[in-house]
Amino acid sequence: MKVDLEHLSRLASLELNEEERKILPGQMEKIIDWVGQLSSLVTEGEEKYTRLDFSLRLEEDRVEPSLPQAEVLAMAPEKEGDFVKVPRVFREK
Amino acid sequence: MRYIDLGLREAVDLVRAGQLKAAEIVESYISHIESVDREIRAYLTLACDRALSRAKEIDGRREKGRLAGAVLAIKDNIVTRGLKTTCGSRILENFVPPYDATVVERLETEDAIIIGKTNMDEFAMGSSTENSAFFPTRNPWDLERVPGGSSGGSAAAVAGLEAMAALGSDTGGSVRQPAAFCGIVGLKPTYGRVSRYGLVAFASSLDQIGPLTRSVEDCALLTSVIAGFDRRDSTCADHPVPDYLEGLDSFQEKIKVGFLGEASLKGVNPEVAAIYHRIQELVSGLGFEVVRMDFPSWEVALPCYYIIAPSEASSNLARYDGVRYGFRAEAAGLADMYARTRTAGFGSEVKRRILLGTFALSSGYYDAYYARAARARQVITAELQAAFRRVDFILTPTTPEPAFKLGEKQDPIAMYLQDYYTVAASLAGIPGISIPCGLTPDGLPIGLQVLSEPFGENRLFKFAFLLENNIKFKNNMYRINNRGRRKNES
Repeated sequence: MKVDLEHLSRLASLELNEEERKILPGQMEKIIDWVGQLSSLVTEGEEKYTRLDFSLRLEEDRVEPSLPQAEVLAMAPEKEGDFVKVPRVFREK
Repeated sequence: MRYIDLGLREAVDLVRAGQLKAAEIVESYISHIESVDREIRAYLTLACDRALSRAKEIDGRREKGRLAGAVLAIKDNIVTRGLKTTCGSRILENFVPPYDATVVERLETEDAIIIGKTNMDEFAMGSSTENSAFFPTRNPWDLERVPGGSSGGSAAAVAGLEAMAALGSDTGGSVRQPAAFCGIVGLKPTYGRVSRYGLVAFASSLDQIGPLTRSVEDCALLTSVIAGFDRRDSTCADHPVPDYLEGLDSFQEKIKVGFLGEASLKGVNPEVAAIYHRIQELVSGLGFEVVRMDFPSWEVALPCYYIIAPSEASSNLARYDGVRYGFRAEAAGLADMYARTRTAGFGSEVKRRILLGTFALSSGYYDAYYARAARARQVITAELQAAFRRVDFILTPTTPEPAFKLGEKQDPIAMYLQDYYTVAASLAGIPGISIPCGLTPDGLPIGLQVLSEPFGENRLFKFAFLLENNIKFKNNMYRINNRGRRKNES
C-alpha cells in the first residue's frame, strides 16, 4: 500500500534526507503490506478474551521531594536562570 | 582457575564467606575486558574505577549483601545515576541520568558491582546490535557473527566472560534471542514481575527487564533480587517474590510438556529443528508426557507485534525533542528545532518504526491496523491460556536459526522474522526463558525457549534447571573462553 511519507514525517516531527526519501517509500510499503496480513486473518468481534490480569495497587497521593532542580536543569542543552531555553516559538509578522 | 571463570553464585558465596575479595574479582574482569573487548565490543561505557572502589568498600564491610562480589553489566537503556546512558542512540549520546533505575538500586543494595553499560540496537529496536549508533558488537563464539539483539552487548559480555551476568530488556525477544545466539541463559519475566522504572521506554505494554546469565541458577538468583512491587511503576505487579533459589534442584512433578507440531516449525533452520527434536526425546526420556501443539495465531503474531510495538514507540519517542535533555540541533524556530533534532538524532530503523507507528495510529488507518492488532493480541493470549490448561510448559526453539553474519540481513522484514518464536509470549505477557540446548555442526549455540503461565517463574526456573542439568551444555562454556583466548593470542 502506498503511504504519504511527507504527511507521516510531519506528524512525527521528522525530516527525511535524500537517501531516506529514496529508500523509505519502498520499505514502508513492503512493511505495511506485511503487517496488513492481519486484516485477512483477524475478524471483527473477537473482544471476548481477557488480557493478562493482575491487581494493581493504588498509591496514596502524597507530596515528596522530586529530583533537585539544579540537576535537572544541568541536563538541558540550553538554559537561562531557572528555565530551559528553546528557540523562538512565534515569529514576528 | 581464573576468577572470571567463577559462576555468579559461586563467586558470591566465596566473597560472602570472606574467602575471596571482591576487588580481586573486579581486577581480573578489568584485565580480561582490556584483552578481549577490542574485538567483541560489548561495552559502550566502562566503569572500572567506580567498580573497583565499590568492591573495596564491600570488602571492608563485615555485613555483605546477597550479591556481594557479583560483577554485572547493564544494558544501556537502563538508567544509572552519574553513569552515561545512551540507549545506543546519538540523541542520548551524552546523557548522564540523575537517578538509578529500580533494578539498579536493588542490585546495588545487595552489593552487586556494575562494571559497565552494554551496547544495544538503538532504542532496543533490532535483533543484531548492528543498529547501535556507535558500533556493532560481535559474537564471542564467532567474531564474524552478530550476538543477536537488541541486548547483544549484554549477551556478548556474559558469553565472552566480560561480566558474571548482565541485565537486558526484552520487548519482543531482545533478551531471549541474544541469549540463544551467545549460548547463555536469558529470561523475559512475566509482564509486571520486574519494575520498568528507569528503563527507557520502547513499547510500554511489552517491555520487561530480564537477566542474561551463565546458568539457570544465576538467573534465578538475580531475578529474586530485581523482581517485586515498585510504587514508581504503576504496571509493576503487587505479587509476592519467592526465593527462586529455594528448591531449585527439586523438580519432581509429573507434568505435561508442549512441543510444537510440524506446522509451527516450517520456517525453522534444519539444524535447529534437529536439536529441537533431540530435546523432545530427552524430555520424554525423563518421563514427562509430550504433547504436540500448534498455534495458528502465531501466523499473525509478528504482524501484530510490528503494529503494536512501533505504535507505542512512536508515542514514547515523542519525548526526544531536544528541549530538556539529550542532543539538540540548532534551528531558528521551535518546530524546526524538534524536527532537526530528531532527524539528526535517530538512526534509520528508529525512524522506520516511528513512521510505521505513526501510520498505524493515524486517522483513517487506526481501526484497520492498531485496533485490529489489539484484537489479534487477545486471540494470541487466549490461545496460550488455553494451551496452559493442557500442558505445564511449552518448549520452542528460541530462534528460527543460529547467529547470522554481520551485514547478512539487509531487509528489515528478514530481521523482524528473528522474533517468530519470541513475540507471542511478549504479547501475552507470559514469562519465557531461553537456555542453551546444543551446538550446530559449525559449533554455534542454539537456544531452547521454555514458556510458562504468568507469574510461573518459580516452577519455570526449577524445570529449566532440570533441563539444563540433563542437556549438560554448561560444560561447553569454556569453549567460548578458550576461543576468546586463542583469538587474542594469534
